[in-house]
Amino acid sequence: MDLKDYIGKPTGAGRVHVERGSVSRFAAAVTDDNPVYSDLRAAQAAGFDAPPVPPTWTFSAMFLGTYPEDQPEDPTGGKGNPMMGIIGQLMQGGGLILHGEQEFRYHQAVQCGDVLEWDGRITDIYTKEAKGKVMTFIVMENEFRNAAGEPVVTEIFNLIHRGA
Amino acid sequence: MSKRQFKLQYDSIKAGDEAPVVSHELTRTCLVRFAGAAGDFNPMHHDEMKAKAAGLPSVFGHGMFSMGLLGRALSDWAGPGNLRVYGVRFTKQTWPGETLSTRIVVTGKEETAAGRLVAAEVALLNQDGEVKLSGTAKVLAR
Repeated sequence: MDLKDYIGKPTGAGRVHVERGSVSRFAAAVTDDNPVYSDLRAAQAAGFDAPPVPPTWTFSAMFLGTYPEDQPEDPTGGKGNPMMGIIGQLMQGGGLILHGEQEFRYHQAVQCGDVLEWDGRITDIYTKEAKGKVMTFIVMENEFRNAAGEPVVTEIFNLIHRGA
Repeated sequence: MSKRQFKLQYDSIKAGDEAPVVSHELTRTCLVRFAGAAGDFNPMHHDEMKAKAAGLPSVFGHGMFSMGLLGRALSDWAGPGNLRVYGVRFTKQTWPGETLSTRIVVTGKEETAAGRLVAAEVALLNQDGEVKLSGTAKVLAR
């Protein structure tokens, strides 16, 4: 399959429960000891209804609060994330996969107790040559929405395959 | 949400101002704790034998740990919940034993419909000044 044909393809979708245990453990793991992430009283004193999530939490969210019984329909139709096929195709010739860029756009606060829905897609694929090696950039976007369907966080990121 | 606290004063902040530096020594324990909390079990971040078999000198840090550490410094500075945009480019791997330090420098400010925004250049560097990631952020001020 030509790599350009993957542009626009969905990478997945899910529903995520924002739980206090996962949020406070994540905050500790990025060395953030601000009590707003673990103590309801501190969160409320800072103007939140419940502990908020640290800035990069949503990137891990799909591994943390996903319940099998309430997931939305799989937009890949059971084929799974097409990134697996892309990486497999690129790695046939060897090389290395790198996380190149990561951006978060914050629209509304995410707090413990929220139930978020996310979906992701491939938005661009392009190549560049650097030092005689072909670099393939795969750009993806994930959008997280709250129970009212409003966007709360948008993630834009790329993976880079550096040819051997 | 009406009591949200802004730590930055829009009127007094200016280009060139710097946020307090956060420094942290990266240990293998940091990598294991992050792997568990984030659900990222790529063995290159926790399995020394596999990392060496792949030709690396040791396990190396998750890029998202670095971004999380710098995100903590942004939250400390602007107050939790006040980030609006945060984007980085990962430039170098991080290694156990390195001391990572944040650098956040104000580049400008603007009043928008979404609030009073302060823009900054952000980076994470090791003890020798090697840049591990760099990017930009926008935070809300009062």
